[in-house]
Amino acid sequence: MAPSEARRRFFLMALTLACGVFACSLRDARAAETHLQQSATAPAPTSPDSAAQTAANKRATKLVTDETGRHMAIPLNVQRVVSLAPNLTEMIYALGLDAKLAGDTTYCDIPPAAKEKPHVGAPQDPSLEAIVALHPDLVLATTSINRAQTADALLKIGVPVYTSNPHTMAGMLSATATMADLLGESEQGAKLVAELQQRLDTLHAALQDRPMTHVLFVVWEDPLISIGQNTFIADALRWAGAESIIVASQNWPQVSMEEVVRLQPEYIVLTSDHLTAETHERVNNLRDRPTWSELRAVKLGHVVMASDEFTRPAPGLVDAIESLAHELHPEAFSTSAAEFAPNFPQRIVGAGPAPAGPARTTANAPAFAQFASARLRMEASICAR
Amino acid sequence: MRPLTPRRILAICGMLAAILFVVVVISLRVGAYPISMRDIVVTLYNGAVGNGDSSEFSQVIFGLRLPRIALGILVGAALSTSGAGFQALLRNPLADPYVLGVSSGAALGAMLSLIIAPHTVGAIQLAAFIGAAATIAAVYFLGRRGGQLDSATLLLAGIIAASFLSAIIIFLLTLVNGPGLRSMTFWLMGDLTAPPPTQNVLGWFGFLYFVFIVAAGAMYTTSSDLNLILTGEQEAGHLGVNVTRVKLVVYVAASLLTGLAVSVSGTIGYVGLLVPHVMRMLFGTDYRLLIPTSAIGGAIVIVLADTLGRTIVAPTELPVGAMTALAGAPVFIYLMRRRIR
Repeated sequence: MAPSEARRRFFLMALTLACGVFACSLRDARAAETHLQQSATAPAPTSPDSAAQTAANKRATKLVTDETGRHMAIPLNVQRVVSLAPNLTEMIYALGLDAKLAGDTTYCDIPPAAKEKPHVGAPQDPSLEAIVALHPDLVLATTSINRAQTADALLKIGVPVYTSNPHTMAGMLSATATMADLLGESEQGAKLVAELQQRLDTLHAALQDRPMTHVLFVVWEDPLISIGQNTFIADALRWAGAESIIVASQNWPQVSMEEVVRLQPEYIVLTSDHLTAETHERVNNLRDRPTWSELRAVKLGHVVMASDEFTRPAPGLVDAIESLAHELHPEAFSTSAAEFAPNFPQRIVGAGPAPAGPARTTANAPAFAQFASARLRMEASICAR
Repeated sequence: MRPLTPRRILAICGMLAAILFVVVVISLRVGAYPISMRDIVVTLYNGAVGNGDSSEFSQVIFGLRLPRIALGILVGAALSTSGAGFQALLRNPLADPYVLGVSSGAALGAMLSLIIAPHTVGAIQLAAFIGAAATIAAVYFLGRRGGQLDSATLLLAGIIAASFLSAIIIFLLTLVNGPGLRSMTFWLMGDLTAPPPTQNVLGWFGFLYFVFIVAAGAMYTTSSDLNLILTGEQEAGHLGVNVTRVKLVVYVAASLLTGLAVSVSGTIGYVGLLVPHVMRMLFGTDYRLLIPTSAIGGAIVIVLADTLGRTIVAPTELPVGAMTALAGAPVFIYLMRRRIR
């Protein structure tokens, strides 16, 4: 096959040539690119066509290392923030800094005003372009719902992204303080943190002589997914005088019913599905389900509903902790629970008329539920291959 | 069918390349960040002459849209070329780039890197590629019969390797936490948004395209032999084709292309299966034409699918894998029915 052989040789030669040309052009392009990189990372934009105001804002920057170890330069005077997680949005509102919030995600629904802000997509895969289009001075992210790739990609094009990584209440409080610092409102942050810390200390003082209640925290019912030791939920439970019966190093372990039967939790803590009408149904469902109905906690009616704030490491979590503490240890508090916390979750056990809690009509599940369903979808996609 | 002349190949490829160009221009133009055509041209020109600035235009064009398009073209071309190769090698119309377990091997590699070194930049791509390469080697040695690559044995070895690796992945999935699991989910769905692992973006794409050109070029050199092998291995052997060698080249090249695509973008389904079939229906079964048209066609499909995915439900984005399946299947059925009639 002589012609074929000749063609092969010709092809190889052409390929070598092409590679050579390519390598040469690459070297030039690389020089050009370094130039681009430098001007992009310089604190003061050198291009004259940038808007004067942006230039003024960006002139003074400080170097910051975030909780995941990424370094970045953040303007001293941050005016426009994009939040990539519901708990961060809630924090910004709690700090009274919502005027600086330029955009948030489609999951951000607390407080309701957050829904009116421009959205940049879902926390796991926001549109990077939509973020840039909001001209943020700073983007806030968290390891508990965002992907590392999002922060990496934004940092690469010169948009600072501060990622927080809260695993405990203390971590949540310090993240709140840091956030206030970054936004130039340190005093506001210190005030909020001191107030929250004080409420937690009061709780601790009331509960410290009481034994911990052993609870099963249900993240997801089918399959049964609970929490691991290193989650902020496990820490929040401890502040509420409760301890998860599940000991796991994974964050969201799938638990067998047998294990639950063996450990016999004193209380079962469900998370609210936003809709108050569903709560009775869910408890009745537990009573109707074979193994669940035999659990001591279900027979005694020891099933409580934690507010969905419990799933977000944000200031509202302290409310949720207080409510749960009153639910689990009513005798430790002199004032009645209903007086103490106005947004007290209804006690399902008595099944009286449900106090009208603020009904949240959002269709979005809490962060970890999204997360759990993602895991299921993923497993399904692997099984299918 | 008219005889296949080099001129006809060039004409058809030129036409497809023109379509690709139009798709790329559309993809550069649309998005959540509004930029006019004029600003795009100015920004591109400034960037090309080394006069880049740090304006938001340049961030969006050079930082977000162009890398995504460049990755889309590479992945689409690699997957389709590889699919065409596997369909000939295995003589099975259902063969796709993932049929021999390369994607599962890459996924396992990516998974391990997320567990062992979650914060190392570029670890996922490297580990995925090593996983793919190891799977390629293992399946090759399992798939030989009497020292020769046997299509049926190879297919069985690939399927068994894939399901075994999937089982390990499912086991590992229960061990990873939070961010790692999230990254993995998107990786498995196919993701073009991950930033290049180095600061030197041009060098990175240069490397990827270089590997693609070498592997696809190697496969192209076997195209007339592949045409003969498709009529029957024995007949091709009688006509002087070194069947063993051709199969080895196609196997290595196609696997390498798959490994390349999977390691940078995760698993994007359908493209590698459908595009070669569509090109066969449109332009005939000659591999001298099929390989280049599949490459360009795959690039068109991925760039188009990704553009649609990031615009139709903006600001949320649809994974590109979902878009290809959504749009690919109906188009394929339409072409198939039309051909039967």
